[in-house]
Amino acid sequence: MTLSLTRRALMALTSAAVFALPAGHAMAEPGAWSDEPVRIVVTFPPGGTSDLVARLLAKHLDENFGQKAVVDNRPGAAGTVAADFVADQDADGTTLMIANNAPFTIAPTQFEELPYAPMNDFTHVAYIGASAPGLFVKPDSGITTVSEFVEAAKANSISYGSSGVGSISHILGEAVDASLHVETLHIPYQGSAPAIQDFRAGVLDTFYDMVAQNSDMIEDGEAVAIAIAASARFPGMPEVPTFKEQGFDIVIENWVGLTGPAGIDPEIAAKIHETTLAVLALPEVATTLNDLGITHQPLSTEEFTGFVETQIDVWKPLITAAGVKGK
Amino acid sequence: MEIFANFSAGLLTVLQPQTLLYCFIGVFLGTFIGVLPGIGSMAAIAMILPLSFYLEPTVAIVMIAGVYYGAEYGGSIASILMNIPGTPSSSITCIDGYPMARQGRAGVALFITSIASFGGGIIGMVVMAVLSPGLAKLALQFGPAEYFSVIFLGLIAASAVSNGGALRGIAMVMAGLMLSTVGIDLTTGDLRFTLGVPELRDGVHLVIVAMGLFGVGELIASIKANQSGRGRQEIDYTKFYPNRREWRASFGPIWRGGLIGSFFGALPGTGQTVASAVGYAVEKKVSKNKDQFGKGAVEGVAVPESANNSATQTAFIPTLTLGVPGSASMAMVIGALMIHGITPGPRILTEHTELFWGLVASFLVGNIMLLVLNIPLIGMWVRLLQIPYKLMYPAIIVLICIGVYSLNNNVFDIWMTLLFGIAGYLMRLYRFEPAPLLIGFVLGPMMEEQLRRALLLSRGDAMVFLERPISGGLLTVSALILAYGLWTTLRNSRRTKTTQTHNKTSSNTGASS
Repeated sequence: MTLSLTRRALMALTSAAVFALPAGHAMAEPGAWSDEPVRIVVTFPPGGTSDLVARLLAKHLDENFGQKAVVDNRPGAAGTVAADFVADQDADGTTLMIANNAPFTIAPTQFEELPYAPMNDFTHVAYIGASAPGLFVKPDSGITTVSEFVEAAKANSISYGSSGVGSISHILGEAVDASLHVETLHIPYQGSAPAIQDFRAGVLDTFYDMVAQNSDMIEDGEAVAIAIAASARFPGMPEVPTFKEQGFDIVIENWVGLTGPAGIDPEIAAKIHETTLAVLALPEVATTLNDLGITHQPLSTEEFTGFVETQIDVWKPLITAAGVKGK
Repeated sequence: MEIFANFSAGLLTVLQPQTLLYCFIGVFLGTFIGVLPGIGSMAAIAMILPLSFYLEPTVAIVMIAGVYYGAEYGGSIASILMNIPGTPSSSITCIDGYPMARQGRAGVALFITSIASFGGGIIGMVVMAVLSPGLAKLALQFGPAEYFSVIFLGLIAASAVSNGGALRGIAMVMAGLMLSTVGIDLTTGDLRFTLGVPELRDGVHLVIVAMGLFGVGELIASIKANQSGRGRQEIDYTKFYPNRREWRASFGPIWRGGLIGSFFGALPGTGQTVASAVGYAVEKKVSKNKDQFGKGAVEGVAVPESANNSATQTAFIPTLTLGVPGSASMAMVIGALMIHGITPGPRILTEHTELFWGLVASFLVGNIMLLVLNIPLIGMWVRLLQIPYKLMYPAIIVLICIGVYSLNNNVFDIWMTLLFGIAGYLMRLYRFEPAPLLIGFVLGPMMEEQLRRALLLSRGDAMVFLERPISGGLLTVSALILAYGLWTTLRNSRRTKTTQTHNKTSSNTGASS
């Protein structure tokens, strides 16, 4: 089974973007696009990556470009509550959301009925970036490579912790099982923190989580990240090899972007896009994104839209394999 | 000693004017928001979070912590005055606090709350300062089996707080557990008992259950009570401050509550709620004043307040040293730290010494502020009770609606609250205590999650709960409490049978409270 996800498609899109961008649409100057404060809807409660990105964006939109922005957390039903809400708002650029896998790539497969159409009800304005999860094992397990993990998993029953059913770490776990022809025991948690606690306490053999957020554990010698599910090593932690370079084509990335309701005026969309890219280019923002493990790529609005569209199909077999197909 | 040096350094940080100011803003705003029904610490922290980005990390965390325990404290004011618990843990405070307010002793109840919260807070702080590394290790000793057992103990304790006897308490806990299964199954992702209603996918929100059962249920009940002539209360200023007997009575509970709270607070997730319930259950057993529990005993206010406030302080231990947030509020604390580039974890004690000790010291300063701020305000809070019901109740209804609506910005939730209000009224009519139900509802999902996780890991072997020493010990204690509770219920019911005619008149008058 070959599993190649976001980054490969992204690379192709990006390289095309470098040449295509000036011809695509009129360049807009970064700056405020509305006199009213912009509402940035977040699909999760405060504190997570999406929320941090939204708050970072809101802060710098105001400070650097005079665009007032407020963060509005509308968690619930795997992000579909927030997406449904945004789809119904005025398309004047005053309501945007931090788009991510949950409502746009996972929910369309997970739930039979969605109150919104992931493509037609939205304007996918700007791509922000993506981070990748990896496989963590105990240092004393003696496992250092994916091949050794396969041997260990075939010899003994190995358990792994995830951030929850249908979460990216669960889907990666199932993808690894399918791709490596092993069977590991999935233990779902609510978020990665309690899973990591149980890993530390010796309850779990392994866990999957965003690699960058666990750099402390790696440095302290409490966990070893044997592989990251990105197409290239994460610049912030070059010592963690990818699944790919160890001969296993597993790439699963957690992307975030800025999306609004369908029908945002192209000029306003262009302005939002340019301003967002300008914020992301600020050194302070770039540093924070790097700390969060997010790798940014400057995609155009069209490329981002195309990207979201392909993601639904790319994830579909994985979600089905993970057995989280909705009832 | 190193602890004292560190603590003094922390105190110096907190005593800087800017930190003091934001600590004050935190506790003040927290108390104020906590008093509003349905808006708890989570909403308060969410409101103040953006402001924290502009502050130094230590100042930011001191302010957020202030909001957090300020809101817990404010929640108990609403519990006592209006029988509306701001948090599940303060639902225990309702059991004795509200009867006290109805007897015109709201001032005493609030005073004791302030003192008990302060006492509990300081005990929690000392425990955190001295035992942080140790308590963090304790949390690591707790695997899924241990968590299941500790929650089980909490539920047994919760059923014991009920004044209708253990059997009624267990029935209420079970009802809460059943209610908590509505929504997405966390282990498989299946939808359970949602009746095709999309709003129920995430289950019923805690605030809806709390506001409905306590707040709305109480309002419906008091409409009836007031028609029958119960007017507004006169303030009796001699009953304003605790008398000598009440002082003495609350001293022991504060100590016991503080120590029990410190222990449970360090366990992420179960913390305050289990602490209050266990504290109350223990006090009810050891107190000489058993008969007064549930009818307005000061001990019944002192113990949960002390326990939940000390648990509130020690809840920072797993949050900071393990990076494991026990609640949504604590998750926001982690978010606030991450914005400043600080990743909570074992390193925080060594790498961010100033932040950690600044926070510990701020508990002392913040709790003193709360005391100074709130004791003069007791008069004002008590005067709230003098507002005629026809003005006060509509205002409370409006506040509850706003609070509930603000959860998901969804009108459906308001209808749900009304539904729970009717249920709460019926429970009052038939004298079922809502507090055990609420606690069962809060702890249910956690217990189920840990149960299933433990069984997954043990490959279906249920003996794991008895074989692991901590877990086995906790279950044994639970079984003993349960057996004792059922035995006393049986004994009492036999006794009441013989004296039934005698009690009939008194039980009728107690039905509306």
